[in-house]
Amino acid sequence: MSAPTGERPRRPSPVASARPQRRPRKPPPQPFTLLGLVGLAAFTLVTAWDWVLGIGFNPIALPGELADSNPAMVEGLFNITDADWRADYAELLRTHFTDPDSPWLLSLDSRIGSGLVETVQIAVLATLVGAAVSLPLAVLNSRLGAPNRTTHAVIKTLNNINRAIPDVIWAALFVVLVSVGALPGILALTMFTIGVVVKLTSDVVDGVDLGPVEAARAAGASHAAAMRTALVPQILPSFASFSLYAFELNLRGAAVLGFVGAGGIGQAMNYYWSQLDFEAVSVIIFVYLVLVVIVEQVSISVRRRLV
Amino acid sequence: MTETRSRPARSRLAEQVRPERPFARFRWTVTLVLTALLVWSSATVDASWGRLTEAPGRAVGFAQTLVANASLEPLGVALEAMWESIAIAWIATLIGAVCSFPLVFLAAGNLTRGRVKQPVRQLLNVFRAVPEIVLAIALIPFLGLGPVTGAVAMGISSIGTLGKLSAEIVESIDRGPLEAVEASGGGRLTRLRWAVLPQAMPEIAAFWLYRFEINIRVSAVLGVIGIGGIGGFIAQAVERNVFERIGLGLVVVILATMLVDAISSRLRRRLIEGPSPAAQARRERASVAGAEHEEDPE
Repeated sequence: MSAPTGERPRRPSPVASARPQRRPRKPPPQPFTLLGLVGLAAFTLVTAWDWVLGIGFNPIALPGELADSNPAMVEGLFNITDADWRADYAELLRTHFTDPDSPWLLSLDSRIGSGLVETVQIAVLATLVGAAVSLPLAVLNSRLGAPNRTTHAVIKTLNNINRAIPDVIWAALFVVLVSVGALPGILALTMFTIGVVVKLTSDVVDGVDLGPVEAARAAGASHAAAMRTALVPQILPSFASFSLYAFELNLRGAAVLGFVGAGGIGQAMNYYWSQLDFEAVSVIIFVYLVLVVIVEQVSISVRRRLV
Repeated sequence: MTETRSRPARSRLAEQVRPERPFARFRWTVTLVLTALLVWSSATVDASWGRLTEAPGRAVGFAQTLVANASLEPLGVALEAMWESIAIAWIATLIGAVCSFPLVFLAAGNLTRGRVKQPVRQLLNVFRAVPEIVLAIALIPFLGLGPVTGAVAMGISSIGTLGKLSAEIVESIDRGPLEAVEASGGGRLTRLRWAVLPQAMPEIAAFWLYRFEINIRVSAVLGVIGIGGIGGFIAQAVERNVFERIGLGLVVVILATMLVDAISSRLRRRLIEGPSPAAQARRERASVAGAEHEEDPE
């Protein structure tokens, strides 16, 4: 071992040299990190404080606020410990979803049942129509698929605008254009589906294998033919998976549409809420939740099979 | 038999070269199911399809009314509503981020055993499955109808997605640093601090920002049930035919959402890719100069 080299005992190192080794200094934090943390804290304080620019969110007082509830609503919505409430609940489920005259005993003709069916219909139609429109738009929304830069830029801007408008706002606007009912709901969620599927699918287009496209071009294919035969088959599985994902989102989104008059289960929810019939609202929430969970499980298993 | 033999050799060759397309059962099932769904839905849904033909004409008329009534007078109220939506979304994201963060490490398969991982995953799935509107309505009896209700509802729902996606990020980290910390005697928390966080944190933070973008849209949606914000502002304006508010509200929501998206996506890129090469070079030059300066006395 080498002789002591300095005042500090050091580990023997294979590159022991004349220059004393030092532990390298830890680099100071990046200005980005510092600015980011400060900005984060400032933004949080501004938005959480109870003043003009904040919503008055106080995490410490929150448990107290939660405990200080509206007893009528709580008892209506989830008074599970009460036997009478449970009996009422079962009775509600029975009157809304069974029909002794029907061959299957089940019936979806009540306000809640038909609302539920309409929600599914709106989601299905919006997803199918929206996805069908989205595939060509997704191709045009990518650098590879657009025939020229202008098309790419125009489609991209339009879709960004589309995505910036929340689905309920679309629904409210379509209610003005085609009046109340399921139709404005279908149209609104179609726009929403286009926004989601085009965005996600065109991101996939940017990462495809260019080989087949070049081969198609070399064989003399037109731009459209090259895209159809060489690009679309590559993005089809992701596209299908995103469309299913959009269906899940649509089923969730369809519940809100009723509040602006665009059909679906939200209409029933809004109706019973305004009647202060919280038990019926609770039934709706429960049944709708079951539906969403079932559809999600099916969709997830199909999506796993796809990609 | 005779017919086959009489065919010219060339076409037989062609037949051989192109094999028959195999029967794609999956594809046919999907096509059939989709067609059935389409037919059933469009036939039974209570939609007045006839109104669709009138829609373009009405849209033009509506757009003209909006332009004719264009005014900057309600700008202050609209901006205030938009800011409220953004604030709700931010608080919701923060609730989701803070509550999901400890769960992430329990839900990551490379840090915990299946015994711990599975229940945590299931918990996250429950949070994810419940739609925000259901959560919001369930919270109204406790918190009333206001921005905080919306923020808490969206926050709870964010816990699910953020937790699941962040756990997937943690599962994809490089094992090397983890083993290195273990080999030098690091405990559980040390491993988290020095092996997991440095690798996973940028991407997790990027996901938080992404969730913030989504939450802005969700908060606008929840606005219609009355939690406040730009969604309720526009929906009410549509209901009451206040055209100057509809037009301005739309412009504000589109511009603000796109602006936040743009800022957030730049921040996300910076988080994941690190500083730009130019900035990196500048910093390195500065630190090298500093280091040389330090060495000088020797």
